[in-house]
Amino acid sequence: MTNKLKYVGKSVPMHDVMDKVTGEIKYVGDMKLPNMLYAKLLLSDIAHGVIKSIDISKAQALKGVVKIYTYENTPSTSYNSHIWYDGLKAIEDEYLFSKQVRFYGDRIAAVAAEDKETAERAISLIKVEYEKLPHIISPLEAKENPEYRITSKEIKSGEPENIIQTAEIVVETALKTQKVHHAAMETHICLANKELDGTVTIWTPCQVAFQVQLVVCTALGLPKDKVRAIKAAMGGSFGGKGQPVLEPVCAYMAYDLGKPVKLYMDRTECIIATRTRTATIGNVSTAVDAEGNILARDIKMLVDAGAYMTNGEAVALAMGKKAFRLYKIQNQRYTAEVVYTNTPIGGACRGYGSPQIHALTEINIDAAARRLGMDPVKLRLKNLFQPYDKDSIGGPALGNARVIQCVEKGMEVFNWKEKRERPKAIGRYVRGVGMACATHGNGYYGAYQDYITMSLMMNEKGEIILNSGIHDLGCGTVTTMKQIVSEVFDIPLDKVTAVEGDTFKSPFDSAGTQASRVTFVCGACALKAAEQTRAKLVHYASRILGCAEEQVVLENGMIYASDQPDKKQAYGDMVTSIQKTLSEKVEVSCTYESPANPASYAVNFVEAEVDTMTGMVRILEVLAVHDIGKAINPGFVEGQIQGAIQMGIGFALSEEISVDSGGIVKETNLGKYHIVNAPDMPDVKVMLIEEGEEHGPYGAKSVGEVSTVAIAPAIINAISNAVDIDITALPATPERVLEAIKRKNIISEVRQ
Amino acid sequence: MILDFNVNGRDYSIEADARARLIDVLREDLGLTGTKEGCGEGECGACTVIIDGLAVNSCLVMAHQTRGKRILTVESLKQDGELDSLQKSFINNGAVQCGYCTPGMLMSCKALLMRNPNPTEHEIREAIEGNLCRCTGYVKIINAVKEVVKESKAPSEEDHHE
Repeated sequence: MTNKLKYVGKSVPMHDVMDKVTGEIKYVGDMKLPNMLYAKLLLSDIAHGVIKSIDISKAQALKGVVKIYTYENTPSTSYNSHIWYDGLKAIEDEYLFSKQVRFYGDRIAAVAAEDKETAERAISLIKVEYEKLPHIISPLEAKENPEYRITSKEIKSGEPENIIQTAEIVVETALKTQKVHHAAMETHICLANKELDGTVTIWTPCQVAFQVQLVVCTALGLPKDKVRAIKAAMGGSFGGKGQPVLEPVCAYMAYDLGKPVKLYMDRTECIIATRTRTATIGNVSTAVDAEGNILARDIKMLVDAGAYMTNGEAVALAMGKKAFRLYKIQNQRYTAEVVYTNTPIGGACRGYGSPQIHALTEINIDAAARRLGMDPVKLRLKNLFQPYDKDSIGGPALGNARVIQCVEKGMEVFNWKEKRERPKAIGRYVRGVGMACATHGNGYYGAYQDYITMSLMMNEKGEIILNSGIHDLGCGTVTTMKQIVSEVFDIPLDKVTAVEGDTFKSPFDSAGTQASRVTFVCGACALKAAEQTRAKLVHYASRILGCAEEQVVLENGMIYASDQPDKKQAYGDMVTSIQKTLSEKVEVSCTYESPANPASYAVNFVEAEVDTMTGMVRILEVLAVHDIGKAINPGFVEGQIQGAIQMGIGFALSEEISVDSGGIVKETNLGKYHIVNAPDMPDVKVMLIEEGEEHGPYGAKSVGEVSTVAIAPAIINAISNAVDIDITALPATPERVLEAIKRKNIISEVRQ
Repeated sequence: MILDFNVNGRDYSIEADARARLIDVLREDLGLTGTKEGCGEGECGACTVIIDGLAVNSCLVMAHQTRGKRILTVESLKQDGELDSLQKSFINNGAVQCGYCTPGMLMSCKALLMRNPNPTEHEIREAIEGNLCRCTGYVKIINAVKEVVKESKAPSEEDHHE
């Protein structure tokens, strides 16, 4: 990039931040429509069974109750909430309401009432009789039961089995990862209304408006031109609001009653009955030579989809592919088995399988280094991909892969060698350092369709409106798009408006805000639309100005012919002339299909302190180094990374949704489900490697998901470095750490 | 039941349900929807308001317990069209992402600065320990508060030198 950038690369504030600091922004919870009804769900309190009877008489008799919905009076069309485009196939096992109960939290009924209190009271008055069935909560047990086994997957390059069988050094690691609650501060909520023409309008904090439309149409049996999904203000998602959970039920009630209905969840419902990070049980065997070259690797994952399929299969595949995009391993096999259990439903969660598989493999890399008596950084540097290396299974090109640079720079800044070689303290508190690497994608190219259409228009005031189906999840998507457009036209950000997803008004977007695609793919489309519109403006202006196109200069909102610099006019005046004189609009609609899916990389360095008396782990310092290509808005990028580290620390140390032997969820509120708060949050230093990526807008690539991947294994490796223990299950709670320390002490006593 | 209290500098005398929580009265009866509900049991802090100078979870307070008290919500921070220094600093430091925790976060920080205009980083972290944020990792929020403290200190130090 030879030109100096004026708007891209600047940490400008988020477009709606003023509304957010004043409390004026309206989330769905703040919206009210005339005659709006409130709706609540009744969730099952058993893990597996069949409904024998539902007695709604007492609830129905309550004044203010409008209607009660169960499997008996609602459509019984099956669907899969994970399906985001027509033609995508996946097992369809979800229903609005089902007679079969598959987990503690399954949807049994809904009440629509005139006020919240009545809706909530009515729910408590519904009596359900179940015939209980045996439940399975362990994926290992599920694996042995044909009714719970869903599918298996294999990805392979070379001949890993033979090499592992004959290799001298094979390092094995096992790791169980847990279900995690996304813990967006805004709980799930949806508002729907039936318009006079029969259309159902849905306002929802969602990630993929066209997916909401599609899933609702499938579940309700409605044509697409009768369902309009509008992306509302988002109070946090992280994948949790990706699959439509409430929308089909809420839309049905509004459609049926012909009235606006708001369906809302409290925190407990949100934890047990929406989606969770997919739990896994992983085993990995890695063959290395004495110099630290990885010869072969075999990864086995047991993937717990939970009670419904949703994206169980997709996430199993997605995580497997990541294993082939970090280290040069010619001989590698990944196999996954996907099973149902009678536990909360798995779904999309920031990283989409990456945190799970990287936790397993990056802990294993450290174990290999320990076995060889080698610095784990050195072992990694020997095996990491170089820029423009090839994905070993023929996946999309890795592109300008700068992971080695991240490791080398990070090592220096973190002062790795000195910290690593420092003698360990003797006593209660022991410090250790650890690190880990991670990779993630940039969209769907190579796996699913990935394109977006945007329209861009400059009006008579010189203002630009970018119309597309984007979704700002609080990460700064809208502002990012505005910065790109501003850069192309050289106009201030406040002259650019970028509107968000509305399935009746937005040009089609094939995939929404998922798969770390927004900046890389949608940003590239915004750039293309802006460049095409600019070319159009230049073309028409050359006719108005009577000069060659090459002579037209656009500068700081003014346009002129290069030989007449004294006759500058505002863009808006030129647009007015173009419209008046040429009867043309300065407007473009363009479709951009992503041509690539390069790898983004993150390398995290951590210093942790283990309290050997209580098993408590404190994170003292985090350095996150990212191969970002180019940061369109460095402030947003840092914000993404710091938040992702918070989430990753929870994954490593404290967050878990678990069930008791009866399948009942144990962590039902934020008092029991521990997310990291301010006093426990370390300072996070961020370092960006900006070496540019060919197809990214201004060289940018993704950060939102990869940023939460490396932190958990880096922490576990730091714990191992401190007290020399193996953690075999996440989260590494004080109990688990203490247990591992005791186990180690017993073993060393026996040896003595 | 009649509830007399002062919200954001204005006296109210309203008919409020005896069982209503403060958050419900603020949001439903007064239309002050800036105060958010994230858990309903005092664990997340999204509903934090200031009652007689103290940061309190409005989901844990019955409305009638606030009789005669002075309540400040996020809507009080902007005065005569001018943002509070905390709001400005949250904007300048990128301390806001999805924005759902922001009102509660701001009110906890405001209460802190009202009683202690010169808090240490440790005190800032403690003041927001009951305010959960899933987007920011708190880093930029803490920086924002530190900046307000630093800026408010600057002139007085100058005074001192004079």
